[in-house]
Amino acid sequence: MKNVAIVSWYTLKEAMARKVFIFFAAISILVVIFTAVILGVTNTQSIMTGLPGKNNLPDIGFIISRLEVMIISPLAGLGLLLAIFASSSFIPVMLEKGNIDLLLSKPVSRSQLLWGKYLGGILVMFLNIALLIIGVWLSISIKFSYWSFTFLWGILVITFTFAVLYALIVLFGVITKSSMPGMMFAYLIFLILSPLLKLAHYEMRILISNDFWKSAADAAYYILPKTSELMGTIILKLASGETITDYQPVWSSFLFLTAMMGIGNYVFNKKDF
Amino acid sequence: MNAIETNGLTKIYSSAFGKKQVQALVDLQLSVPAGTIFGLLGPNGAGKTTLVKLLLAITYPTFGNATILGEDISSYKIKKRVGYLPENHKYPPYLSGGEVLNFFGRLSGLDGKYINKKIDALLDTMKLLKWKKTKVKNYSKGMMQRLGLAQALINDPELIFLDEPTDGVDPIGRKEIRDILVELKKQSKTIFLNSHLLSEVELITDRVGILNKGKLLREGTVQELTEKKEEYLLRVEDENKTLPENFDGVLITKIDSGRYSLKVPNAAALNKYIDLLRENQVIINEIIKHKNSLEEMFISLINESEKENVK
Repeated sequence: MKNVAIVSWYTLKEAMARKVFIFFAAISILVVIFTAVILGVTNTQSIMTGLPGKNNLPDIGFIISRLEVMIISPLAGLGLLLAIFASSSFIPVMLEKGNIDLLLSKPVSRSQLLWGKYLGGILVMFLNIALLIIGVWLSISIKFSYWSFTFLWGILVITFTFAVLYALIVLFGVITKSSMPGMMFAYLIFLILSPLLKLAHYEMRILISNDFWKSAADAAYYILPKTSELMGTIILKLASGETITDYQPVWSSFLFLTAMMGIGNYVFNKKDF
Repeated sequence: MNAIETNGLTKIYSSAFGKKQVQALVDLQLSVPAGTIFGLLGPNGAGKTTLVKLLLAITYPTFGNATILGEDISSYKIKKRVGYLPENHKYPPYLSGGEVLNFFGRLSGLDGKYINKKIDALLDTMKLLKWKKTKVKNYSKGMMQRLGLAQALINDPELIFLDEPTDGVDPIGRKEIRDILVELKKQSKTIFLNSHLLSEVELITDRVGILNKGKLLREGTVQELTEKKEEYLLRVEDENKTLPENFDGVLITKIDSGRYSLKVPNAAALNKYIDLLRENQVIINEIIKHKNSLEEMFISLINESEKENVK
């Protein structure tokens, strides 16, 4: 465990040396300051008196949760895109000749090295997203004197979404020793496949007449991670304090993560360098 | 006790679908006694680096097995007692020299207080102390090599693998590195040295192995390898004296005044010839076994091996 922590810590340093994560942290800080300033000059009393059922706290909570999600969603999406870009080279750089030889000559198992790199990448994302969400949440909660802690679950959900995609990047990194295939495939899932398969599985299912294609779409939907649902419905429900009734997007994505890391770990342990 | 022992160690690299196979190492039997400096020589592609990678489980053997410091090479924990300086090593460019040593020290299982003391001592030995906080991306090739050596020694290892340790280092730096290696040997460390610089290997190694195309051609002390078994150098007092020729298979060739080369079929013939010289009142000043330089021996051995391969 100590070795995993050491590798993770130095992965964090590697991430900090790459300006992308600093850039995202700077954007997060700017957004938090901007939110605080805008809310500071806004007469929130007039907003609240203008609401239907103005003395009804859940309505204020509803507005606040929507406000929080409205600010966070695009930034979390941008953060994920940047994080995928920045972290896709962690594994290929580790596997470069002259670097991997040194690491494997130390009393560290290959699995510890891989998990250290993986958890280090996740730690970077966690810190960046925590900075953004806690900052926005504090600004809004202080202004409205309304404290809904469920919104903070968003930190874990967004980090988990990244962890699922990063597991895929790790696997491709180990197999190809290159950053591009994993990064491209992660973008493909996050931006295209996951939203499309969600539509095919729910909203537009009726439009698919052919049974074969219906089954193929269902299979792809269940196999691939549900980043679209994690970053959409689940965050929105958590922010609003609603109960999540369907955990399928979470556990099926977790299974995907486990499979990617399992295969990645197996390949890494068998590989000659 | 042997620090390294290999038994039938073989490595075959296969292409993606196994269409092409390259034998990098073939049935290697090698023992390196503890507390010695062992030099592994061979042309490019001979399998030197493959051997080190196999011993450190960076690459896995196709057949055979090996032990280092008495433990099977598959145990990663044995590496606590091992140091390694690979050829063309790379360090994270965003770390300083001190941070690089800290990172590898921690990975070697050392605790913080010990590492800090050790880092300063090693950087001082390697003449890098004033560069401790400088990012390694600003280091020269020679500085990187010295930092690499410091990295290999951070855990005070019993067995040290060095792949071209003086590569890119100036002559004075090379001498300093050689002195460090000799000092390490005095501390009973075992050093396994891969090098192209035969003259350097000759200067510091106890035993040498010569590898070509994955096969160990010869192994022994530098003296054993460079000695020409039946060839002697003779120096006599009287430079004008004519020596008896065509004696019992002894072939005498004059090198210069007073110096002769003797090729003898065996030691008995040599002794008989010496008796004959004495009978002829020839005063012998010196008679020594003729030696090749390591380089001469290496080139001739590799050429012979290449001819064998062509046949």
